[in-house]
Amino acid sequence: MCNDHQHKLRSNNKDLQKLESQLDRRHFLKKTSLGIGALALGSLLGTEKLFAGIDKNSAPEDILKAYNKNRLGLPHHLPKAKRIIYLFQSGGPSQMDLFDYKPKLSDMFGKELPDSVMSGQRLTGMSGNQSTLPIAPSTFNFKQYGESRAWVSDAMPYLSEVVDDLCFIKGMQTDQINHTPAITFMQTGNQLPGRPSIGSWLSYGLGSDNENLPTFITLVSKNGKGQPLKASLWGNGFLPTEHQGVQFRSGKDPVLYLSDPENYDGNDRRHMLDYLGNLNNLQHDAYGDPEIQARMSQYEMAFKMQTSVPEVSDLSDESDSTFEMYGKDSRDPGTYAANCLMARKLLEKGVKFVQLYHQGWDQHNYCPGGVKSQSQKTDQATAALVKDLKQRGILDDTLVVWGGEFGRTVYSQGQLTKENYGRDHHPKAFTMWMAGAGVKPGFSYGETDDFSYNVVKDPVHVHDFHATLLHLFGVDHERLTFKHQGRRYRLTDVHGNVVKDLLT
Amino acid sequence: MENSVPDFVLFLGRFHPLVVHLPIGFLFFAFVLEVFSRWKKNPVLTSGIPLALFLGGLSGAVACILGYMLSLSGDYEEAALDTHFWFGIATTAIAFIAWGIRIEKIKVSSLKKLQPNIAFLTLLVILLSVTGHYGGNLTHGSDYLVKYMPFGGAEKQELVAVTKVEDAEVFGHLVNPILQNKCASCHNSSKKKGGLSIADSLAILNGGKNGDILIPGDASNSEMLKRVLLDPHHDDFMPPEGKTPLTEEEIAILTYWIDNAQANFKTKVASVETDENITGIASTMLGLSAGSSSGSEIPIPSVSLVADDKITELQVEGFRLRELAFESGLYEAVLAPNSNENGTTDDMSKKLEKLLSIKENILWLSLENNEIKDDHIKLIAQFINVQKLKLNDNPLSDAAVAQLTQLENLTSVNLLGTNITAKSIPSFSEMKQLKYAYVWKTKIKKEDLEKKGINDYPKIIID
Repeated sequence: MCNDHQHKLRSNNKDLQKLESQLDRRHFLKKTSLGIGALALGSLLGTEKLFAGIDKNSAPEDILKAYNKNRLGLPHHLPKAKRIIYLFQSGGPSQMDLFDYKPKLSDMFGKELPDSVMSGQRLTGMSGNQSTLPIAPSTFNFKQYGESRAWVSDAMPYLSEVVDDLCFIKGMQTDQINHTPAITFMQTGNQLPGRPSIGSWLSYGLGSDNENLPTFITLVSKNGKGQPLKASLWGNGFLPTEHQGVQFRSGKDPVLYLSDPENYDGNDRRHMLDYLGNLNNLQHDAYGDPEIQARMSQYEMAFKMQTSVPEVSDLSDESDSTFEMYGKDSRDPGTYAANCLMARKLLEKGVKFVQLYHQGWDQHNYCPGGVKSQSQKTDQATAALVKDLKQRGILDDTLVVWGGEFGRTVYSQGQLTKENYGRDHHPKAFTMWMAGAGVKPGFSYGETDDFSYNVVKDPVHVHDFHATLLHLFGVDHERLTFKHQGRRYRLTDVHGNVVKDLLT
Repeated sequence: MENSVPDFVLFLGRFHPLVVHLPIGFLFFAFVLEVFSRWKKNPVLTSGIPLALFLGGLSGAVACILGYMLSLSGDYEEAALDTHFWFGIATTAIAFIAWGIRIEKIKVSSLKKLQPNIAFLTLLVILLSVTGHYGGNLTHGSDYLVKYMPFGGAEKQELVAVTKVEDAEVFGHLVNPILQNKCASCHNSSKKKGGLSIADSLAILNGGKNGDILIPGDASNSEMLKRVLLDPHHDDFMPPEGKTPLTEEEIAILTYWIDNAQANFKTKVASVETDENITGIASTMLGLSAGSSSGSEIPIPSVSLVADDKITELQVEGFRLRELAFESGLYEAVLAPNSNENGTTDDMSKKLEKLLSIKENILWLSLENNEIKDDHIKLIAQFINVQKLKLNDNPLSDAAVAQLTQLENLTSVNLLGTNITAKSIPSFSEMKQLKYAYVWKTKIKKEDLEKKGINDYPKIIID
């Protein structure tokens, strides 16, 4: 047995060789006995991946076959969506300054928000101590657009051109009133970090459509201000690590630490990885830790990304008219517009989930100006993305989602003037929209009261939104589970209903 | 009836299932010792046998008494109970006799040749097995043991498999499986807890000792539903603590059966007022969940599964196959762009012909940017179930589109960047199911659409 391993000794250094040979003799016996215990334990703990990993040394057709067979019995039903781009508007966009038109407010300028509307709701520490809660009507003008006659404010002139492709959800509700818990809730179904994000669940459940790129990719607009975003939002939680979102950045290195170091030509990288893989396999045989396999598949992915990422992040083959459509920012890597364009390329290449973040929607003060400048940065590219996907014929199996973590209050935080007001966080009602695969185009669902404060018809809770999203991918949200710490978890945990009215 | 028996007696009676295992152990062990000592020719081992037999008989007697107490509850079917009762007593009696023979208090010299010790012990084991079996039948129902037997098995009521929710029998397909799954372990023909059995429709209509369990058309007042909807900690809540409670969906189905279907045992879903929620639950129960959300769409074809080898073979050809719903046999096939870079037109034809071997299984087909020519279309037009077809960035002309009209299920076709012209527009109109035709970067212009007067369906998307 020891001799079998001799040819694998690769180090020139005597000491290292000695170490490597020790791996055979002493550790082999010791660790295999330990390892069997660990394997047994592993299977007791229900780590399904333990025996299901793909042996990288197997014939290519075996690999293909292994990718093709879904071990989890997914999808549960025929999917509508093949891929998704989630345009996360971080900070909480003001629904009544963008989509939720409230004409009656104009007569109520400066009046106190009625207690009956607030119905004793606890406010944040930022506006909860205000002696007055004056109603701040939107300074934006609203018009109806398209055949669907959807209301959009003049903050978003480009988006108003594509409203007939959008499905507005005006009665969104969340449980959280502050940024970090609310974003975490929106992205993982729980307010505390540590659960898998939506993209990780889909990657775990449905697998990859392109082995050369990650299934789940995150893009964050550069120079973002406001509440920080963190990797747990696109984290894999307790799912195997290869399902975490891979962040692409602007600039020379879209994915950090991917390029070869200086003075290394990378020619023997494949050889190095194979050898490392052998060592890791030994380690895996000894300990049965599924994270070792996750690490190995991530090395392989990084290796493939060394060629696939420069290719996909190169926007030079896009036509001028495309750049024009996305706006002049789209030529500046890392902006929201450039990320939208990059997202389209990634989706075309078979990436299943592109999660885009744009910060700065937290208009506690200077709300009209803030909404306007945020819209200027995002409106054109958002609309262009919808148009572009449609033109290319991939909107009908691509889901586009636009939305933040909560809405904003109808009353002014801070001083209210005719031209200026601030708005505080508001979890009880906000607007999101979806477009594309399987959702009704030119449709508006749900209604809020005259203050855009409470949902009066067809509320959609974050859990319901998650359930619907998974449904579009052919996944029954109650059946995609993962056992962790003694119980089975779902994206929607014990909540959520598919909102069938949104579906075509 | 139950009221006439003191609670204390019933309390003790419930220890019967516990105590009953003692004689089984003791007596069986006596048998093992006997056989083992003969085999090993080791007489020392036999010294334990009298004790085991005595304890077996003693605990058997206790079990008999406790069993009688339990039987007073009246929850069990008389005939099955009697058999178990007499076999139990017989086992106990034989145990004492065997003990007597062993310690030579009972002398059966005339039977010496028959080797009474081993004979009685064998008899005991047989009796134990029979008694135990009848006891098990009482507790778990007579089909418990053989339910999952791999061959033969108890005859099952075969229901006709349905393909549409409307064809399903409300009771047979939806309600009965729930009852059998969640209630039958205590309410069957041999173990009638509370006097209720749900073995068949007659038994259900007979109700339990508290009367009828169903009021047709009034689920909220029907005992069956009332018990299920109680607070889970309530004493009368069903199923009792420790058993799996009914899910919301199951409760919805029961309510639907009693309210909408008047608790009828024969009606089908089609003849009952059925809302979407019930249809959804029912189709999930029947395993018809695929595409349940869409009413107006093309029915999903039912096809046979594709063998793994076949998939592998096609994947090697460059097709990427993804099953659209698990074990539906329906696939998305994608040929990666430029898969035939060095091949000829014929090579592409060969690839397509190979894929045609599973033509019915392909629901989505993508052949973008692969030098697909008009000649190939006659092959592509044979994928009769294709709903989404991507042919963009291929040198195709109007002749190709004319042939695609054979694909009756096509809902979306992508012809971006092909050479088609306005002449193809009538072909699009011919495709009955077509919703979207993507023709950006072709010779079709916006003006062409206006000229032809095509507005709504199919939606021809230019830019």
